[in-house]
Amino acid sequence: MTTMKSNLHPSTEMLEKFVSGDLSVGVNLAISAHVEMCEHCKSEIQEIESRAAEHWAESATAEAIDYEADPSNIIENIVAQPQFKELDIEESAVGSIHMLDRSVRLPKVLAKAASEGLVWKQLGAGISQADVKIDDEVHCSFLYMKPGSQTPVHKHQGTETTLVLDGSMSDELGEYHKSDFILRTNNDTHQPRTEEGCLCFSVLDSPLTFTKGLARLLNPINRLRFQRAVGRTLS
Amino acid sequence: MGNLASSNRASEEAVKPKKSQIAAAEGGESDEKLLMEVGNHQSREAFNKLFERFSNKIFLHGMKITRNEQLSKDLVQEAMMTVWQKAPLYNSDRGNVQSWIFTLTRNRCFDMLRKQKRQPQCVSADDIWPAGMEDSESLVEKDRGALAVEFGHIEKFLSQLPQAQQEVVGKVYLMNLTHEEAAADLEIPLGTLKSRLRLAMGKLRQLIGTSE
Ligand SMILES: [Zn+2]
Repeated sequence: MTTMKSNLHPSTEMLEKFVSGDLSVGVNLAISAHVEMCEHCKSEIQEIESRAAEHWAESATAEAIDYEADPSNIIENIVAQPQFKELDIEESAVGSIHMLDRSVRLPKVLAKAASEGLVWKQLGAGISQADVKIDDEVHCSFLYMKPGSQTPVHKHQGTETTLVLDGSMSDELGEYHKSDFILRTNNDTHQPRTEEGCLCFSVLDSPLTFTKGLARLLNPINRLRFQRAVGRTLS
Repeated sequence: MGNLASSNRASEEAVKPKKSQIAAAEGGESDEKLLMEVGNHQSREAFNKLFERFSNKIFLHGMKITRNEQLSKDLVQEAMMTVWQKAPLYNSDRGNVQSWIFTLTRNRCFDMLRKQKRQPQCVSADDIWPAGMEDSESLVEKDRGALAVEFGHIEKFLSQLPQAQQEVVGKVYLMNLTHEEAAADLEIPLGTLKSRLRLAMGKLRQLIGTSE
Protein backbone atom coordinates (compact mmCIF):
# COMPACT_ATOMS: atom_id res chain seq x y z
CA MET A 1 0.00 0.00 0.00
CA THR A 2 1.32 3.42 -0.82
CA THR A 3 1.79 5.74 2.07
CA MET A 4 0.09 9.08 1.67
CA LYS A 5 0.63 12.43 3.24
CA SER A 6 -2.23 13.18 5.51
CA ASN A 7 -3.44 16.59 6.57
CA LEU A 8 -5.45 15.49 9.53
CA HIS A 9 -4.00 13.34 12.29
CA PRO A 10 -5.17 12.20 15.71
CA SER A 11 -4.00 14.66 18.39
CA THR A 12 -0.95 13.79 20.49
CA GLU A 13 -3.26 13.32 23.44
CA MET A 14 -5.26 10.76 21.47
CA LEU A 15 -2.12 8.96 20.37
CA GLU A 16 -1.03 8.76 24.00
CA LYS A 17 -4.34 7.18 24.95
CA PHE A 18 -4.01 4.84 22.00
CA VAL A 19 -0.60 3.73 23.23
CA SER A 20 -1.75 3.20 26.81
CA GLY A 21 -4.87 1.35 25.68
CA ASP A 22 -7.37 3.86 27.08
CA LEU A 23 -9.63 4.24 24.03
CA SER A 24 -12.63 2.29 22.82
CA VAL A 25 -11.87 -0.55 20.44
CA GLY A 26 -13.60 1.28 17.60
CA VAL A 27 -11.42 4.37 17.95
CA ASN A 28 -8.37 2.10 18.33
CA LEU A 29 -9.23 0.58 14.95
CA ALA A 30 -9.54 3.97 13.28
CA ILE A 31 -6.24 5.20 14.73
CA SER A 32 -4.41 1.96 13.95
CA ALA A 33 -5.61 2.12 10.33
CA HIS A 34 -4.57 5.78 10.09
CA VAL A 35 -1.13 5.00 11.51
CA GLU A 36 -0.62 2.27 8.94
CA MET A 37 -1.04 4.96 6.27
CA CYS A 38 0.85 7.75 8.08
CA GLU A 39 4.63 7.86 8.58
CA HIS A 40 4.34 10.93 10.78
CA CYS A 41 2.13 9.27 13.39
CA LYS A 42 4.11 6.04 13.12
CA SER A 43 7.26 7.71 14.42
CA GLU A 44 5.36 9.77 16.98
CA ILE A 45 3.88 6.55 18.38
CA GLN A 46 7.32 5.01 18.78
CA GLU A 47 8.40 7.95 20.89
CA ILE A 48 5.23 7.89 22.96
CA GLU A 49 5.67 4.16 23.52
CA SER A 50 9.16 4.51 24.92
CA ARG A 51 8.05 7.41 27.18
CA ALA A 52 5.07 5.40 28.41
CA ALA A 53 7.28 2.36 29.04
CA GLU A 54 9.69 4.44 31.08
CA HIS A 55 6.87 5.91 33.11
CA TRP A 56 5.46 2.42 33.63
CA ALA A 57 8.78 1.04 34.84
CA GLU A 58 9.41 3.92 37.22
CA SER A 59 5.96 4.11 38.77
CA ALA A 60 5.96 0.38 39.43
CA THR A 61 9.28 0.33 41.25
CA ALA A 62 7.95 2.99 43.61
CA GLU A 63 5.41 0.54 44.95
CA ALA A 64 6.93 -2.37 46.80
CA ILE A 65 4.65 -5.33 46.33
CA ASP A 66 5.30 -8.99 45.93
CA TYR A 67 2.69 -10.34 43.67
CA GLU A 68 3.70 -13.94 44.28
CA ALA A 69 5.91 -15.34 47.02
CA ASP A 70 7.21 -18.25 44.99
CA PRO A 71 6.68 -18.08 41.24
CA SER A 72 8.91 -21.07 40.45
CA ASN A 73 5.98 -23.26 39.36
CA ILE A 74 4.75 -20.59 37.00
CA ILE A 75 8.21 -20.16 35.54
CA GLU A 76 8.64 -23.94 35.12
CA ASN A 77 5.39 -24.00 33.21
CA ILE A 78 6.42 -21.20 30.92
CA VAL A 79 9.90 -22.42 30.01
CA ALA A 80 8.43 -25.82 29.11
CA GLN A 81 6.70 -24.12 26.16
CA PRO A 82 8.35 -23.96 22.73
CA GLN A 83 9.59 -20.57 21.52
CA PHE A 84 8.53 -18.88 18.27
CA LYS A 85 11.18 -18.69 15.60
CA GLU A 86 9.37 -16.76 12.88
CA LEU A 87 6.59 -14.19 12.82
CA ASP A 88 3.55 -15.45 10.97
CA ILE A 89 1.79 -12.83 8.93
CA GLU A 90 -1.63 -14.13 8.07
CA GLU A 91 -3.56 -12.59 5.25
CA SER A 92 -7.13 -11.71 6.05
CA ALA A 93 -10.00 -13.10 4.00
CA VAL A 94 -11.32 -9.63 3.16
CA GLY A 95 -8.36 -7.68 1.81
CA SER A 96 -10.25 -5.11 -0.16
CA ILE A 97 -13.70 -3.63 -0.70
CA HIS A 98 -15.12 -3.54 -4.21
CA MET A 99 -16.77 -0.27 -5.13
CA LEU A 100 -18.58 0.72 -8.31
CA ASP A 101 -15.58 1.11 -10.56
CA ARG A 102 -12.63 -0.11 -8.53
CA SER A 103 -11.59 -2.02 -5.46
CA VAL A 104 -10.02 -0.41 -2.42
CA ARG A 105 -7.31 -2.18 -0.48
CA LEU A 106 -8.05 -1.89 3.23
CA PRO A 107 -5.53 -1.20 5.98
CA LYS A 108 -4.66 -4.56 7.58
CA VAL A 109 -6.49 -3.98 10.84
CA LEU A 110 -9.73 -3.05 9.06
CA ALA A 111 -9.40 -6.01 6.71
CA LYS A 112 -9.21 -8.14 9.84
CA ALA A 113 -12.24 -6.43 11.40
CA ALA A 114 -14.20 -7.05 8.19
CA SER A 115 -13.03 -10.64 7.87
CA GLU A 116 -16.40 -12.10 8.82
CA GLY A 117 -17.92 -10.43 5.76
CA LEU A 118 -19.68 -7.14 5.17
CA VAL A 119 -23.40 -6.74 4.62
CA TRP A 120 -24.13 -3.50 2.81
CA LYS A 121 -27.44 -1.75 3.22
CA GLN A 122 -28.67 1.30 1.35
CA LEU A 123 -29.32 4.34 3.50
CA GLY A 124 -30.69 6.26 0.51
CA ALA A 125 -29.27 9.31 -1.27
CA GLY A 126 -26.42 7.22 -2.74
CA ILE A 127 -25.06 6.20 0.64
CA SER A 128 -24.44 2.62 1.79
CA GLN A 129 -23.34 1.34 5.13
CA ALA A 130 -21.86 -1.93 6.37
CA ASP A 131 -21.68 -2.46 10.12
CA VAL A 132 -18.73 -4.04 11.84
CA LYS A 133 -19.60 -5.74 15.11
CA ILE A 134 -16.68 -5.10 17.35
CA ASP A 135 -17.74 -3.67 20.67
CA ASP A 136 -20.69 -2.93 22.94
CA GLU A 137 -19.85 0.71 23.38
CA VAL A 138 -19.43 2.10 19.92
CA HIS A 139 -20.97 1.63 16.53
CA CYS A 140 -18.43 0.98 13.77
CA SER A 141 -19.19 0.85 10.09
CA PHE A 142 -17.86 1.33 6.61
CA LEU A 143 -19.67 4.11 4.77
CA TYR A 144 -19.65 4.44 1.02
CA MET A 145 -20.88 7.61 -0.68
CA LYS A 146 -21.46 7.37 -4.42
CA PRO A 147 -19.91 10.07 -6.63
CA GLY A 148 -22.01 13.23 -6.41
CA SER A 149 -23.88 12.26 -3.23
CA GLN A 150 -24.33 14.02 0.07
CA THR A 151 -25.56 12.90 3.48
CA PRO A 152 -28.56 14.58 5.09
CA VAL A 153 -27.64 17.40 7.48
CA HIS A 154 -27.02 15.85 10.86
CA LYS A 155 -25.96 16.74 14.32
CA HIS A 156 -23.73 14.76 16.64
CA GLN A 157 -24.67 14.06 20.19
CA GLY A 158 -21.53 12.18 20.96
CA THR A 159 -18.32 11.78 19.04
CA GLU A 160 -17.95 10.70 15.45
CA THR A 161 -14.55 9.54 14.26
CA THR A 162 -14.12 9.22 10.52
CA LEU A 163 -11.16 7.86 8.60
CA VAL A 164 -11.12 8.43 4.85
CA LEU A 165 -10.02 5.24 3.08
CA ASP A 166 -10.49 6.18 -0.54
CA GLY A 167 -11.71 9.08 -2.65
CA SER A 168 -12.51 12.38 -0.97
CA MET A 169 -15.31 14.32 0.65
CA SER A 170 -15.90 17.75 2.10
CA ASP A 171 -18.08 19.54 4.60
CA GLU A 172 -18.46 23.07 5.94
CA LEU A 173 -15.07 22.84 7.62
CA GLY A 174 -12.88 21.47 4.89
CA GLU A 175 -11.94 18.85 2.34
CA TYR A 176 -10.75 15.39 3.29
CA HIS A 177 -8.64 12.84 1.44
CA LYS A 178 -7.33 9.34 1.88
CA SER A 179 -5.89 8.70 5.39
CA ASP A 180 -7.36 11.89 6.90
CA PHE A 181 -8.57 11.39 10.45
CA ILE A 182 -11.61 13.51 11.30
CA LEU A 183 -13.10 14.00 14.74
CA ARG A 184 -16.52 15.62 15.22
CA THR A 185 -17.85 16.17 18.71
CA ASN A 186 -20.95 17.42 20.46
CA ASN A 187 -23.28 19.58 18.49
CA ASP A 188 -21.27 20.01 15.33
CA THR A 189 -23.86 20.08 12.58
CA HIS A 190 -22.53 19.08 9.23
CA GLN A 191 -23.38 17.75 5.82
CA PRO A 192 -20.58 15.82 4.11
CA ARG A 193 -20.69 15.59 0.32
CA THR A 194 -18.50 14.04 -2.31
CA GLU A 195 -17.73 14.67 -5.96
CA GLU A 196 -15.60 11.65 -6.82
CA GLY A 197 -17.10 9.20 -4.31
CA CYS A 198 -15.73 8.31 -0.91
CA LEU A 199 -15.16 5.26 1.27
CA CYS A 200 -14.82 5.87 5.02
CA PHE A 201 -14.54 3.96 8.26
CA SER A 202 -16.74 5.57 10.87
CA VAL A 203 -16.98 5.16 14.63
CA LEU A 204 -19.95 6.60 16.50
CA ASP A 205 -20.35 6.70 20.23
CA SER A 206 -23.97 7.89 20.09
CA PRO A 207 -26.64 8.20 17.41
CA LEU A 208 -26.75 10.93 14.80
CA THR A 209 -29.73 13.25 14.73
CA PHE A 210 -30.82 14.53 11.36
CA THR A 211 -31.89 18.14 11.56
CA LYS A 212 -33.39 19.07 8.21
CA GLY A 213 -36.31 18.17 5.95
CA LEU A 214 -37.56 14.71 5.26
CA ALA A 215 -34.41 13.21 6.66
CA ARG A 216 -35.77 14.00 10.12
CA LEU A 217 -38.16 11.12 9.56
CA LEU A 218 -35.11 8.90 9.72
CA ASN A 219 -34.40 9.84 13.29
CA PRO A 220 -36.41 7.21 15.17
CA ILE A 221 -35.10 4.54 12.82
CA ASN A 222 -31.59 5.75 13.20
CA ARG A 223 -31.98 5.61 16.92
CA LEU A 224 -33.33 2.09 16.71
CA ARG A 225 -30.52 1.00 14.45
CA PHE A 226 -27.99 2.36 16.87
CA GLN A 227 -29.73 0.61 19.72
CA ARG A 228 -29.53 -2.68 17.91
CA ALA A 229 -25.93 -2.12 17.06
CA VAL A 230 -24.86 -1.39 20.60
CA GLY A 231 -27.40 -3.69 22.24
CA ARG A 232 -28.57 -1.33 24.96
CA THR A 233 -31.52 0.96 25.43
CA LEU A 234 -31.30 4.66 24.81
CA SER A 235 -33.72 6.93 26.57
CA MET B 1 22.77 -30.82 12.87
CA GLY B 2 25.16 -32.19 15.50
CA ASN B 3 27.66 -29.73 14.23
CA LEU B 4 25.30 -26.82 14.72
CA ALA B 5 24.45 -27.78 18.28
CA SER B 6 28.07 -28.02 19.34
CA SER B 7 28.98 -24.68 17.79
CA ASN B 8 25.99 -23.16 19.57
CA ARG B 9 27.26 -24.43 22.85
CA ALA B 10 30.69 -23.08 22.05
CA SER B 11 29.33 -19.60 21.39
CA GLU B 12 27.28 -19.74 24.58
CA GLU B 13 30.43 -20.48 26.52
CA ALA B 14 32.20 -17.65 24.76
CA VAL B 15 29.50 -15.23 25.96
CA LYS B 16 29.52 -16.37 29.57
CA PRO B 17 32.74 -14.84 30.90
CA LYS B 18 31.74 -11.50 29.39
CA LYS B 19 28.36 -11.71 31.12
CA SER B 20 29.91 -12.09 34.54
CA GLN B 21 32.34 -9.24 33.85
CA ILE B 22 29.44 -6.91 33.11
CA ALA B 23 27.52 -8.19 36.11
CA ALA B 24 30.53 -7.46 38.29
CA ALA B 25 30.97 -3.99 36.86
CA GLU B 26 27.33 -2.86 36.88
CA GLY B 27 25.81 -4.99 39.60
CA GLY B 28 23.55 -6.80 37.10
CA GLU B 29 23.06 -7.55 33.43
CA SER B 30 21.12 -5.20 31.21
CA ASP B 31 17.57 -6.18 30.26
CA GLU B 32 18.77 -6.64 26.71
CA LYS B 33 21.57 -9.00 27.68
CA LEU B 34 19.08 -11.13 29.63
CA LEU B 35 16.55 -11.19 26.83
CA MET B 36 19.30 -12.17 24.38
CA GLU B 37 20.23 -15.07 26.63
CA VAL B 38 16.58 -16.15 26.61
CA GLY B 39 16.04 -15.64 22.87
CA ASN B 40 19.36 -16.89 21.54
CA HIS B 41 20.12 -19.61 24.09
CA GLN B 42 16.86 -20.46 25.91
CA SER B 43 18.50 -19.55 29.23
CA ARG B 44 16.17 -20.26 32.17
CA GLU B 45 18.46 -18.43 34.53
CA ALA B 46 18.15 -15.24 32.49
CA PHE B 47 14.38 -15.75 32.23
CA ASN B 48 14.18 -16.04 36.03
CA LYS B 49 15.87 -12.67 36.35
CA LEU B 50 13.56 -11.03 33.81
CA PHE B 51 10.60 -12.51 35.67
CA GLU B 52 11.90 -11.02 38.90
CA ARG B 53 12.39 -7.60 37.28
CA PHE B 54 9.12 -7.33 35.42
CA SER B 55 6.43 -9.45 37.12
CA ASN B 56 5.51 -6.81 39.71
CA LYS B 57 5.31 -4.12 37.05
CA ILE B 58 3.03 -6.28 34.94
CA PHE B 59 0.91 -7.10 37.98
CA LEU B 60 0.45 -3.41 38.82
CA HIS B 61 -0.52 -2.63 35.23
CA GLY B 62 -3.14 -5.36 35.51
CA MET B 63 -4.46 -3.95 38.79
CA LYS B 64 -4.69 -0.47 37.28
CA ILE B 65 -6.68 -1.64 34.27
CA THR B 66 -8.76 -4.53 35.67
CA ARG B 67 -8.84 -3.80 39.44
CA ASN B 68 -8.96 -7.55 39.89
CA GLU B 69 -6.22 -9.48 41.63
CA GLN B 70 -6.84 -12.82 39.95
CA LEU B 71 -6.95 -11.29 36.48
CA SER B 72 -3.76 -9.40 37.22
CA LYS B 73 -2.03 -12.61 38.25
CA ASP B 74 -3.24 -14.23 35.05
CA LEU B 75 -1.84 -11.27 33.16
CA VAL B 76 1.62 -11.79 34.66
CA GLN B 77 1.58 -15.39 33.46
CA GLU B 78 0.32 -14.51 29.99
CA ALA B 79 2.69 -11.61 29.49
CA MET B 80 5.75 -13.47 30.77
CA MET B 81 4.77 -16.45 28.62
CA THR B 82 4.80 -14.12 25.63
CA VAL B 83 8.22 -12.79 26.70
CA TRP B 84 9.54 -16.36 26.68
CA GLN B 85 7.90 -17.38 23.43
CA LYS B 86 8.72 -14.26 21.47
CA ALA B 87 12.21 -13.60 22.83
CA PRO B 88 13.84 -14.97 19.64
CA LEU B 89 11.83 -12.39 17.67
CA TYR B 90 12.80 -9.36 19.77
CA ASN B 91 14.38 -6.70 17.55
CA SER B 92 16.46 -4.09 19.36
CA ASP B 93 16.34 -1.80 16.30
CA ARG B 94 12.69 -1.11 17.14
CA GLY B 95 13.01 -0.10 20.76
CA ASN B 96 14.40 -1.24 24.09
CA VAL B 97 13.35 -4.25 26.12
CA GLN B 98 11.31 -2.13 28.52
CA SER B 99 9.16 -0.78 25.65
CA TRP B 100 8.83 -4.25 24.22
CA ILE B 101 7.57 -5.75 27.47
CA PHE B 102 5.33 -2.74 28.15
CA THR B 103 3.60 -3.06 24.77
CA LEU B 104 3.17 -6.81 24.99
CA THR B 105 1.73 -6.42 28.51
CA ARG B 106 -0.77 -3.85 27.20
CA ASN B 107 -1.68 -6.21 24.35
CA ARG B 108 -2.18 -9.30 26.50
CA CYS B 109 -4.26 -7.25 28.94
CA PHE B 110 -6.47 -5.95 26.13
CA ASP B 111 -7.09 -9.44 24.76
CA MET B 112 -7.74 -10.86 28.22
CA LEU B 113 -10.38 -8.25 28.98
CA ARG B 114 -12.15 -8.68 25.67
CA LYS B 115 -12.22 -12.42 26.14
CA GLN B 116 -13.60 -11.98 29.62
CA LYS B 117 -16.34 -9.61 28.40
CA ARG B 118 -17.12 -12.08 25.61
CA GLN B 119 -16.64 -9.54 22.88
CA PRO B 120 -16.06 -10.61 19.26
CA GLN B 121 -12.55 -11.98 18.85
CA CYS B 122 -12.02 -11.14 15.18
CA VAL B 123 -9.64 -8.31 16.05
CA SER B 124 -6.85 -8.89 18.55
CA ALA B 125 -4.43 -6.50 20.20
CA ASP B 126 -1.66 -7.60 17.86
CA ASP B 127 -3.80 -6.44 14.93
CA ILE B 128 -4.39 -3.04 16.50
CA TRP B 129 -0.80 -2.51 17.65
CA PRO B 130 1.24 -4.55 15.15
CA ALA B 131 4.79 -5.20 16.27
CA GLY B 132 7.14 -2.91 14.44
CA MET B 133 4.69 -1.19 12.16
CA GLU B 134 7.66 0.46 10.46
CA ASP B 135 8.99 -2.61 8.73
CA SER B 136 5.85 -4.64 8.29
CA GLU B 137 6.44 -4.44 4.52
CA SER B 138 9.70 -6.30 4.85
CA LEU B 139 8.15 -8.95 7.09
CA VAL B 140 5.72 -9.92 4.36
CA GLU B 141 8.64 -10.48 2.03
CA LYS B 142 9.61 -14.07 2.68
CA ASP B 143 13.04 -15.26 1.59
CA ARG B 144 12.69 -15.68 -2.15
CA GLY B 145 15.79 -17.81 -2.56
CA ALA B 146 19.25 -17.02 -3.82
CA LEU B 147 20.09 -13.77 -5.50
CA ALA B 148 21.13 -14.17 -9.10
CA VAL B 149 24.26 -12.08 -9.38
CA GLU B 150 27.84 -12.78 -10.29
CA PHE B 151 30.04 -13.24 -7.30
CA GLY B 152 32.43 -10.51 -8.34
CA HIS B 153 29.64 -7.93 -8.26
CA ILE B 154 28.38 -8.72 -4.79
CA GLU B 155 30.88 -6.55 -2.98
CA LYS B 156 29.91 -3.54 -5.05
CA PHE B 157 26.27 -3.88 -4.00
CA LEU B 158 27.12 -4.87 -0.47
CA SER B 159 29.10 -1.69 0.07
CA GLN B 160 25.95 0.35 -0.62
CA LEU B 161 24.15 -1.08 2.41
CA PRO B 162 24.21 0.53 5.87
CA GLN B 163 27.12 -0.74 8.01
CA ALA B 164 24.93 -2.79 10.35
CA GLN B 165 23.32 -4.62 7.41
CA GLN B 166 26.69 -5.27 5.73
CA GLU B 167 27.94 -6.94 8.91
CA VAL B 168 24.97 -9.24 9.09
CA VAL B 169 25.12 -10.28 5.42
CA GLY B 170 28.86 -10.83 5.77
CA LYS B 171 28.50 -13.18 8.73
CA VAL B 172 25.64 -15.21 7.27
CA TYR B 173 26.47 -15.34 3.55
CA LEU B 174 30.23 -14.84 3.32
CA MET B 175 31.31 -16.57 6.54
CA ASN B 176 28.44 -19.10 6.38
CA LEU B 177 27.50 -18.79 10.04
CA THR B 178 24.04 -19.88 11.21
CA HIS B 179 21.68 -17.11 12.32
CA GLU B 180 22.31 -18.09 15.95
CA GLU B 181 26.08 -18.01 15.52
CA ALA B 182 26.03 -14.70 13.70
CA ALA B 183 23.83 -13.12 16.40
CA ALA B 184 26.16 -14.36 19.13
CA ASP B 185 29.19 -13.16 17.19
CA LEU B 186 27.77 -9.66 16.73
CA GLU B 187 26.26 -9.65 20.24
CA ILE B 188 22.80 -8.71 18.99
CA PRO B 189 19.41 -10.35 19.59
CA LEU B 190 18.41 -13.03 17.10
CA GLY B 191 15.34 -11.03 16.06
CA THR B 192 17.51 -7.99 15.33
CA LEU B 193 19.76 -10.11 13.15
CA LYS B 194 16.84 -11.55 11.21
CA SER B 195 15.24 -8.18 10.72
CA ARG B 196 18.49 -6.59 9.47
CA LEU B 197 19.06 -9.55 7.18
CA ARG B 198 15.57 -9.20 5.72
CA LEU B 199 16.05 -5.48 5.16
CA ALA B 200 19.48 -6.07 3.62
CA MET B 201 18.25 -8.77 1.24
CA GLY B 202 15.34 -6.57 0.17
CA LYS B 203 17.71 -3.70 -0.50
CA LEU B 204 20.18 -5.93 -2.37
CA ARG B 205 17.39 -7.32 -4.52
CA GLN B 206 16.42 -3.78 -5.36
CA LEU B 207 19.99 -2.71 -6.16
CA ILE B 208 20.66 -5.77 -8.31
CA GLY B 209 17.32 -5.40 -10.05
CA THR B 210 17.93 -1.80 -11.01
CA SER B 211 21.46 -2.47 -12.23
CA GLU B 212 20.31 -4.89 -14.93
ZN1 LIG C 1 -1.01 10.82 11.09
